[in-house]
Amino acid sequence: MPRRALAAAVVALVLPLSACGSGGDEGGSTDASGKVEGDITFQTWNLRANFKPYFEGLIADFEKKYPGTKVKWVDQPAEGYADKISADAAGGTLPDVVNVSPDLVAPLAKAGLALDLDKSAAKYKKEYLPGAWASHEIPGLEGTYAFPWYLNTGPLFYNKSLFKEAGLDASKPPKTYDELFDDALELADKSDGKVATLANVPTIEDFGRYGVELMNKEGTAFAFNDAKGVELLTKYKELYDAKALDSQALTATPESSGKKFLTEAVAMNPGSALDLGNFKKQAPNLYKNIGITDQITSTGKVNMYVMGVMVNAQTKRTPAAVAFAHFVTDAQNQMSFAKKVAIFPSTAGSLDDPYFTQEDGTDETRVRIAAAKSLKNAVNYTPVLFSEQMKTELRNSVAKALQGKVSPKEALDNAVKACDRLLQQQG
Amino acid sequence: MASSSSTASSGTAARGASSGAVRVRRQLPTSPWLFAAPGLLVVGIFILYPFVSTLVNAFTDRRTLIPGEFVGLANFRELLHDEMFWIGLRNSTLYVLGVVPALVLLPLLLALLVQKNIPGIAFFRSAFYTPVVASIVVVGLIWVWLLDERGLVNSLLETIGVGRIGFLSDQWLLLLSAMAVTVWKGLGYYMIIYLAALANVPRELHEAASVDGAGAFRRFLTVTVPAVRSTMVLVGALSSVAAFKVFSEVYLMAGPDGGPAGEDTTLVMLVQRTGTGLTGRVGYASAISVVVFVVTVALMLLVLRADRKEDA
Repeated sequence: MPRRALAAAVVALVLPLSACGSGGDEGGSTDASGKVEGDITFQTWNLRANFKPYFEGLIADFEKKYPGTKVKWVDQPAEGYADKISADAAGGTLPDVVNVSPDLVAPLAKAGLALDLDKSAAKYKKEYLPGAWASHEIPGLEGTYAFPWYLNTGPLFYNKSLFKEAGLDASKPPKTYDELFDDALELADKSDGKVATLANVPTIEDFGRYGVELMNKEGTAFAFNDAKGVELLTKYKELYDAKALDSQALTATPESSGKKFLTEAVAMNPGSALDLGNFKKQAPNLYKNIGITDQITSTGKVNMYVMGVMVNAQTKRTPAAVAFAHFVTDAQNQMSFAKKVAIFPSTAGSLDDPYFTQEDGTDETRVRIAAAKSLKNAVNYTPVLFSEQMKTELRNSVAKALQGKVSPKEALDNAVKACDRLLQQQG
Repeated sequence: MASSSSTASSGTAARGASSGAVRVRRQLPTSPWLFAAPGLLVVGIFILYPFVSTLVNAFTDRRTLIPGEFVGLANFRELLHDEMFWIGLRNSTLYVLGVVPALVLLPLLLALLVQKNIPGIAFFRSAFYTPVVASIVVVGLIWVWLLDERGLVNSLLETIGVGRIGFLSDQWLLLLSAMAVTVWKGLGYYMIIYLAALANVPRELHEAASVDGAGAFRRFLTVTVPAVRSTMVLVGALSSVAAFKVFSEVYLMAGPDGGPAGEDTTLVMLVQRTGTGLTGRVGYASAISVVVFVVTVALMLLVLRADRKEDA
């Protein structure tokens, strides 16, 4: 009897648990036209530490505008954000409104967890820059799955002092890829391999900026192993062999390469207007010698990063969630947020504001104005279907080519093959 | 009549006694289960269920947001052709081979050093134990700073004319550096275990060996080692399982990709990389976890079997 009781207890324990996890199509309505009321949860991505008053004010304004609503704000750290979202999504505890990037939206939309705004909030579409609105479209799916929020882009920073030491003209930074590679080789040569110019191996966005076609037009297969892709990787191999690429580049992250630039171990690094403040505070010597130049592209279009605000398709408060997601991303609130931090609004016309067009003589303003100008035809080169696993496959293949274990062509062929396999497994 | 009545009443009493006995028997096994229930519940939810779930998932193509279907042995067949799996298996095995002998021997020597009751020895015992209580993330970061190309160790090497060494950029040096960190962090923990074992070694044995003319090294081999042999087996078993499942040290020093071209990836890092995130392949990662489980159990059995053979 006790054995039976124990077995029953185990079954009773395991059965409900086995029902946990993904799936479950019970959920809210896609109709956002009802009364805006009820309690919703809003999740941001590492913003509480620096912008607590802004978000508390934003939420208070929303609750005032829509009496009967209550917004609970949760903030998650940057580290492991995708894992936190996936755990919530699988456990059915995804917040009603979630701060996402396009590559995070793609799997959520495929799993039916992101609300199609073309159906539920089409009336707001005209308020945003067309490119920004399109950034949350998912190849293979109809619809748009998040409100565009802030955009970011930035210049290329370089260390004038290191340029001068190598006998280069610090007032003439490289403007093309050829100039970049030539300068990098010269810098390595003159410093006897002690000063590298770049600290990162090429990423998918670098291939995009170089003019490589990343995916086929249908978005069903990757294509960055074309002649142009091989050409870029071959150039990077030359840099690596000449020590113009930092020796630790094969294991670098954007954070570690930023630190290399900060400690003047490398001569160039991409960044944003936000970095200028960091240089001033953390590396005054570097700040005195900082050079600022445009992102180098072969396409004429710089890379931009897009943030979005997604509405959980299973929310029980669709009208309130859609209204809040729109409120966070509307022109007035984006502008207000942009003035607190060096980001750019995705709403139509906002970039024409004097804040983004009028010089005041400071470097910060110069970078902001240049970035805002370049954003008008910028591109998010990272395909939304390019998952973390695919990024790892590409980085590892690139590393093998740089080490000389395989040819650049073979490395890219392998990376495309692996990424295509992962793409098919994503369904 | 009286007798029959008496018989009847005694029969009733007997039945009553019998049913009372049944009640007692039923109560006896139930109450321990009730006491154990909270513990069982925790074990069931946090150990048993994830374990069974991993086993089940290993035979499916489950992904983070998609339940998946039964695919039989497909995940295990794919493992055989996955280059990264073999790299992971190689590195985890190398880790066991590199770390376990050091963690069996060095803490014993350290324990012999700090065993003596001399003034100030408590300070050294605490100092050697400090890395054990330090957070592995902090430890990892400190070692990254030390071994970076522009870190303290390389600056010293350059000063003495050796030149800079790519501890964190060379595939094999990176793995060795991570092993050194694991040994450094584990020394104090196993030292404490050995100290407890050494306290039970009869002093008379050492004295007898001394009288027979045995020197310190001879006494170590003939008295200390046999006396703490079972502790050495325990340390070997514990450290080999921990070494095979290594994650944090390599992850922190080699980065999320597992070093240059992923060549320093260990099996547990591969589980993390494959199975997490919104596009994680939970089924495939579970299959790797099952392999890790089988190998660690095999390692334990191997060590314990070797111990039994020694005893026989």
